[in-house]
Amino acid sequence: MNVAQLAEQLRRDNQFMKDVTRWEVIPARPAKTAPFPDNLDPRLIPVLAQRGIHSLYTHQAKSLEAIARGEDVTVVTPTASGKTMCYNLPVLSAILQNEDSRALYLFPTKALSADQVSELYDMIEGMGVDIKTYTYDGDTPAAARRAVRQAGHIVVTNPDMLHSGILPHHTKWVKLFENLRYIVIDEIHTYRGVFGSNLANVLRRLMRLCEFYGSHPQFILCSATIANPKELAETLIGRTVTLIDENGAPMGERHFVFYNPPVVNRQLGIRQGAIPITRAISGMLLKNGIQAITFARSRLTVEVLTRYLKDMVRDPLGNAGKVRGYRGGYLPGERREIEKGLRNGQVDAVVSTNALELGIDIGALDACVMCGYPGTIASAWQQAGRAGRRKGTSIVFFIASSAAIDQYIVNHPDYLLTQSPENALLNPDNLYILLSHFKCAAFELPFADGDKFGNTQSTQELLDYLDEQGILHHVDGRYHWSAEDFPASEISLRSAAAENFIIIDITDPAHHRVVGEMDRFTAPMLLHENAIYMHEGRQFQVEKLDFDACKAFIRSVDVGYYTDADLNINLSLLDIEKEEQTPQGGIAGLGEIKVTALVTMFKKIKFDTHETLGFGHVQLPETDMHTTSMWWTLPEKLAAKIPSDQLKNGMMGIANLLRIVCPLYLMCAPQDIAVVYQVKSPITNEPTILLYDNTPGGIGLSHKAFGMKELLLSKALQVAEDCPCAYGCPSCVGPVGEVGEDGKRTAIRLLKELTK
Amino acid sequence: MNLRDKLRAVGGTGGTRQSAPETEDRDCRHFAVYRPAEEFPGALELSRDTLALMSEKEMPEDFDPRRILYLDTETTGLGGSGTVAFLVGMGFLTDNGFEVHQFLMRDYPEEPYLLKHVAAGLGKFDVLCTFNGTTFDVPLLESRFLMNRMSRNCLDLPHLDLLHMCRRLWKLRLGRCNLGRLEEVVLGKPREDDLPGSEVPQRYFTYLKTKQISLLEDILKHNAQDIASLCVLLNHMAELYQHPEKIRFSEDVYSMGRALERVNQTEPARRCYRLASRGRMGDLASSALAVSYRRSGQREEAAEVWRQMIREGRGGVTPYVELAKYEEHVLRDIPEALRLTEQAIIRLSEPGFGQDDAVQADQNELQYRWQRLKRKLKEQ
Repeated sequence: MNVAQLAEQLRRDNQFMKDVTRWEVIPARPAKTAPFPDNLDPRLIPVLAQRGIHSLYTHQAKSLEAIARGEDVTVVTPTASGKTMCYNLPVLSAILQNEDSRALYLFPTKALSADQVSELYDMIEGMGVDIKTYTYDGDTPAAARRAVRQAGHIVVTNPDMLHSGILPHHTKWVKLFENLRYIVIDEIHTYRGVFGSNLANVLRRLMRLCEFYGSHPQFILCSATIANPKELAETLIGRTVTLIDENGAPMGERHFVFYNPPVVNRQLGIRQGAIPITRAISGMLLKNGIQAITFARSRLTVEVLTRYLKDMVRDPLGNAGKVRGYRGGYLPGERREIEKGLRNGQVDAVVSTNALELGIDIGALDACVMCGYPGTIASAWQQAGRAGRRKGTSIVFFIASSAAIDQYIVNHPDYLLTQSPENALLNPDNLYILLSHFKCAAFELPFADGDKFGNTQSTQELLDYLDEQGILHHVDGRYHWSAEDFPASEISLRSAAAENFIIIDITDPAHHRVVGEMDRFTAPMLLHENAIYMHEGRQFQVEKLDFDACKAFIRSVDVGYYTDADLNINLSLLDIEKEEQTPQGGIAGLGEIKVTALVTMFKKIKFDTHETLGFGHVQLPETDMHTTSMWWTLPEKLAAKIPSDQLKNGMMGIANLLRIVCPLYLMCAPQDIAVVYQVKSPITNEPTILLYDNTPGGIGLSHKAFGMKELLLSKALQVAEDCPCAYGCPSCVGPVGEVGEDGKRTAIRLLKELTK
Repeated sequence: MNLRDKLRAVGGTGGTRQSAPETEDRDCRHFAVYRPAEEFPGALELSRDTLALMSEKEMPEDFDPRRILYLDTETTGLGGSGTVAFLVGMGFLTDNGFEVHQFLMRDYPEEPYLLKHVAAGLGKFDVLCTFNGTTFDVPLLESRFLMNRMSRNCLDLPHLDLLHMCRRLWKLRLGRCNLGRLEEVVLGKPREDDLPGSEVPQRYFTYLKTKQISLLEDILKHNAQDIASLCVLLNHMAELYQHPEKIRFSEDVYSMGRALERVNQTEPARRCYRLASRGRMGDLASSALAVSYRRSGQREEAAEVWRQMIREGRGGVTPYVELAKYEEHVLRDIPEALRLTEQAIIRLSEPGFGQDDAVQADQNELQYRWQRLKRKLKEQ
């Protein structure tokens, strides 16, 4: 059965349709084209013709025009709209016309770089010209690096390598810096939060060096659909950009099916799990030979689903190569192989985390199954975009989990279908991040009196501070680096933690092999001792976690369960920035806090039935994060009136409500913020509800929340009051089992008092 | 006045450091150290040909050992554009001994002056000699010239990096070849009270704050010693290249053989291999000798070496395999080739060889050879 037939069949299946909350058909869209502009180097035209390209889509043509006018541009395009042409054409054209010209390409991951380079190679080879394109990243052999530095016309790299491998050694890259014409940054929507704030500072450093070498590069940025591409781009590069966001590429018909698993326990409001449903739907696609991608939110779910699907297609020898798992932590070679398998049709089904959301070329798939809401509208569309490229029917299934946000989406599909996607927020002046990069900048090139660092206001204060600390040495109007450290090695752009854990399979004592890696924050959750670690559906038990050496040793096992760790969070106050008395007698505060995370125990959960088989203890050091927080205290006279158990349930309900409401009004992903409640808070000594930025240093969400603190509470009250459940459910204050029978009532009562 | 003349004008006696007068209003600090000629035996006789062999590089036509500039830097870190060479020492031989001239920047604004002295110094010499300069000192100075918008052309001299040359001779025996270790083990002169290199940057930063020049005494001493050692080491190596029989360790003799073979000194290389074939390196040396013969087409000489190894029970299965090839392809004695292959198979299955993948692969190859020889024998 093909997709159209399958869709037809499902629509006649009443059993299936009773749980479908919406079946949206997005009609096919024709192409809008424009001729090649005159300033395009004529040598490019035959190569494009060979690829069947005889004109440009309108957004490509407009980009080229704006670039020709010397503007910095941001192109917003969905998956598969030919956005690479928006930068490859002007870059190749410029190098063809002046072979000294250089371009720098930045992609968020190595995988994307590899992909783009192969596309560029093809075009360059097709023209038979000598334009050297090199990837420069951690995998570039030392012997090849010299050639890249000297001769690379187009240097393809990632922000991390630019930060630690190129900028601090800029004197080896004279040719590039002196002749840098274009800086291309793709997938800029991924540069939000910490990563984006870091990149913005890396770019400040880059531009400072360009100025030293006398070059004035132009920026070409590309983004997937987000609410604020122009704002994001301008914050990233600190300059005004021209936005091009009309998509001229064609698209085939697309079905978008919202599916809410049936309720299995009405009293407790418990629904059938999303995983078994996903298993069934992805399995159905697999059986019908419809090439599909299944997205799951966690690495664990990816592994569980991969195993289920592999079991369906295993041949007598146990091989199930048609089904593959894909997530961060797989080694590059394995990933390339899976990507290739998807393109050439050898892989029928892939189960992935959002790692495959980005523009890695895996060809056009027919179907996409989302097991749970990926957290943002932008992500959801990125994932959905994996199914269906330019022509032919495609289908997307959204399977809601019992999480409140999923329930909200599945019951309000218009939120996803019509609402503008989220803002991508970043804060280049986050002091933690700014200071680190400022040190790097001072290392790279001494600051002189009166110099500026990008558009940051605090250059002079930073210089004075570092001078005081003895890190800089002020003499004759210049600040010289005078410390032994190599400051770039102290920052990791993607998270607070600098080092990744490597995962070593010791099943065969003669051949220990590295099978993957994991970031420092996640490692305690998934790699604690006795955890079942899954890799491509195979089970391993963690034998030893060497926390100091950042190594986990695992051994192959075959057990009927997986493990899930419990995370304990502790908060302490570092500094109060603002405190306000509320009209109701409570206090609203804003400040810096320290969040300490500790994994203390884990559950063993049986496959298929998902029942808890037992517990285990974990002994690991804590991980710390400094961030920004805002909080509400309950007025004393109000709290005093309510018995403490009931108060606790009510506060838990409010926290749950805020977790639903805040991402919607702060326009961020749910994982970007955390909401906790403390009946007697060590921070305020009162019953307190705290919201904090879930990224080191914070990216400004708490500040934004402080500005709309009354609105957030009134929206929380509205969600609770609008929800038809009697005593609470996952879509409002949380299930009765958690908040108790009086939880919802108390939450509403407290919120009414707080918003009076 | 050019730098060399300036340096000359300073004058002085052996082994003492003295502060030279500053010739410009703003300049960096200059120190000069003079060492007596006796500390550098044979240094003035170093020949162009020997140096070419050692360095594997073309040397200038009118080569003169007095026109090698020995250079070493002391830096504020391990690299990257924020690392500065705050002290550059340059030494050279004269008819009377060895002079080291050290240029110290007392603060960052003096860096351009220091670099000017370095450029002027380099400009007076034909060959540059460093220890690990290819990866460290030269790129660092290049970076400094660039950061100060000065020309880097002065660094385009033929460059002898002693680290690479020393590794060829001593890596096999010593493993890591740093200058301190070479001085101790190869030259037999361990350094006493030497400042560890890792403490150098912090010393300098403390000096920057206090401006107490005495803090830098140790660094200046260390730097001057490093530079003098470069010259001694170079000449010591030259001596060994000319007289390999003076080498005491068989690892080093074998390494010398390899080094000589790289520069096509076939006969001297073979002499080294023969010398080494009696010691701990016997198997490697004999194999290398045989391979050397085979390469130059002296197949029978090569075979004789393999035969001798078999007679002495040395070298594992390699001599059998090599000899079998010779019997099969050159002498066309298939039965003898078959016999040798069988013996190799038997030897390889002896317990001493273990059973890992590499042995298994060898065993497979031998089996294949054996079957091929069997077929060939039948066809005859």
